[in-house]
Amino acid sequence: MSEANTTKSSNGIDRVLEVGSYAAGYCGRLFAQNGHDVVQVITGEPEPAWVSQRSMNTYLHADKRRVATNNKNLIQELAQNCDVAVLEAPTADAIDEYGFDDWTCPVKVAITPFGRTGPQRNWLATSSTLLAMGGQTNLMGDPNREPLTMPGHFVDFQSGGLAYSAAMAARFARQESAVDIGKLEVVMMLSQFTTVLWTCAKVVRSRHANDFWTVVPSNLFRCVDGWIYMNIVPHFWDPFTTFLDLPELLLDDRFATNGGRMKHRDELHKIIADVLINWSRREIMRRAEDNRIPLGAVLSFGEVLSDPHLKARYLWQQVKGPEETQEVTSPGLAWRIHGEPRRDSLLHDIEVL
Amino acid sequence: MVNRDAIRYCTTSRFFELAVGPLNGVRILDLTHVWAGPLATRVLADLGAEVVKIEGPMSRGPRHFPGLSIGGFIGGAPGNEPWNTNAVYVKLQRNKKSVVLDLKTNQGRRTFLELVEHADVVIENFSARAMKRLGLDYPALKRVNPQIIHVAMPGYGLSGPYRDRVAFGPTVEPMSGLTDAMGYSHDQPRNTAMAAPDPTAAVNSVAAVLTGLRHRAKKGSGFQIELSLHESAVATNGPWLVEEQIGHSEKRIGNAHPEMAPHGIYPCREDDRWVAIACRDDSDWRVLCQLIGDGLNPDLDFDQRRQQQAEIDEEIASWTEEFESAELVFTLQRNRIPAGDVRDTQAMLGDAQTQHREFFVPLEQGTPMPGNPIKMTGISHADWTPCPKLGQHNREVLQEWIGMDNDSIDTLYEAGVIVDKPPR
Repeated sequence: MSEANTTKSSNGIDRVLEVGSYAAGYCGRLFAQNGHDVVQVITGEPEPAWVSQRSMNTYLHADKRRVATNNKNLIQELAQNCDVAVLEAPTADAIDEYGFDDWTCPVKVAITPFGRTGPQRNWLATSSTLLAMGGQTNLMGDPNREPLTMPGHFVDFQSGGLAYSAAMAARFARQESAVDIGKLEVVMMLSQFTTVLWTCAKVVRSRHANDFWTVVPSNLFRCVDGWIYMNIVPHFWDPFTTFLDLPELLLDDRFATNGGRMKHRDELHKIIADVLINWSRREIMRRAEDNRIPLGAVLSFGEVLSDPHLKARYLWQQVKGPEETQEVTSPGLAWRIHGEPRRDSLLHDIEVL
Repeated sequence: MVNRDAIRYCTTSRFFELAVGPLNGVRILDLTHVWAGPLATRVLADLGAEVVKIEGPMSRGPRHFPGLSIGGFIGGAPGNEPWNTNAVYVKLQRNKKSVVLDLKTNQGRRTFLELVEHADVVIENFSARAMKRLGLDYPALKRVNPQIIHVAMPGYGLSGPYRDRVAFGPTVEPMSGLTDAMGYSHDQPRNTAMAAPDPTAAVNSVAAVLTGLRHRAKKGSGFQIELSLHESAVATNGPWLVEEQIGHSEKRIGNAHPEMAPHGIYPCREDDRWVAIACRDDSDWRVLCQLIGDGLNPDLDFDQRRQQQAEIDEEIASWTEEFESAELVFTLQRNRIPAGDVRDTQAMLGDAQTQHREFFVPLEQGTPMPGNPIKMTGISHADWTPCPKLGQHNREVLQEWIGMDNDSIDTLYEAGVIVDKPPR
């Protein structure tokens, strides 16, 4: 094994350097949550976020050591002494300005909007422009008006997740590796059937508000205390009629097939709406469970935080910040090894170098 | 007969000598279906793992396809083997091998467990009780291979009050809080129309498998990893969930952004063509004002721009309508303002950047398929293989992995435990 492959930290714990914004932050979060030694370098003002920086820091940067410097030589020096370096920048040239190609750590990951090569490598982007260019925005929102972008940090976090996997794969194989992740390609990879629908059937998938369109009924319906989404693929049509307490729908020729239900979409939607408007979300979900059909209640973030299922499964961890006396609840990792509960975390103070 | 130890202890230094994908030599038995699971195993296969898809005889549908496929067929028509040309299915299976085993039969389960002896990972996204019903839950897998990593991806997890709920990505999404946050206005929420929990769970599953492989190397024995669609989706919404406790997050604000203004999607000259524009700061705003000319005040600060959002959006829209989308994006990018045109698939395929980086790979009879955004040493789509035909690797895998002879394989064929065409 070459010197470059030597683990800087012991016992399979990687020393990870994280420089950049929210995608790098998410990548670093996965390393930190898995017990690796992560140093976050803060180089300047944060990029615009969907929530306060305190919330972003609590979620992304707990259990990391945090330093502030914009000295690129110093950052390069730090990179020489780690196992994995993750550098996110707004353009390919900005990656180069860090001397990234000269960094000698075994595994280094560059995250940019468009990747490090190609004619648009220095184009600027945000989540909303990438979702647009990656084909997702075209599907979201109502027909006959402007499409709707997705709020939040979906693009950053999926990119960070793949950056983590690439680095972990290289560390697993004990390979030296340089990784180039373009966020636009991440968005394009995560397309459902939209791409093949065009390439194989020459159909452009269009947007239909909350209606899945090709499977009926699949839509959002109002109920007594909020909204319910359903996705009744043909297999579930029979139990769905029982769920509605309208078994006679099974004998209605208009709705006998998915094709028929598509043709009589509005009539069927009205029948469903008339029933659900009298039921609560709790009642609807109980009936859905009893009848084994796929429904989901629209929950607010406050309701998600108090969801008994997530509590019973120990999703949450407590994070305490350096200046706060109160602990904050944050979701742990999406996965659990051996059923172990998520551990609590600490958000460290920032040291200026 | 293969050297079992060489296979089982795949985290040894032999991988260091291989110049191919980093997961070369890792053996994964893939029982996943629909989207999240198959996408995860496709990424793992792209990274070099030997992924063997274990399929039921009818997993790709019947011999005579009943109707249209939701994404069409490779080559544009079902052809003689429609079960092998369903585009939505094919898209997710490159670089994998296909072995058909009827796990509802004793012989099918016995054969599967023999394969488990030689595997590193078993990954499945059945409902919470399915593996136990099949006699293939983690204790059963562990009995034949203590090193095995079992990745279970049920919709709501293996425990808890919702574990028996039926879950699809689109029905889990509202349970995560995302749907409630998205919409044109407070009147009504909107969903993402892309079943966001599915791709989120796929990305998390890849990360979980990699974490597991390294964890096993340290720990020395296998374990179960549990990853639910629900928790994947909720975990991704972490910043909002934290903000809920300490501040106030805005929701259903259309295409606006709480820290960028203007931030919207505006019409272009072509019919139903749009461009997303984001002004990150005052500097972007001033440049945009300069481009648009009269009508906008470059001295407005962020708060003022948010307050006057409707009027500003109207001014911008009347300007963007003058241009074709591509021209507009080039103009804005040339002036260092983040902008992107709202694309359909055709536009994505024709994009110069996408083409330069060869993101779409014409693997399936020339049909371009989305590639892998992880570009790294040892990974090249030049050696990728297309989606296997149903049962294409029955004989190869059963011989190579467990040393089964031809007569025994023929017997399994005769019993219908393995097939290479859906039963009549």
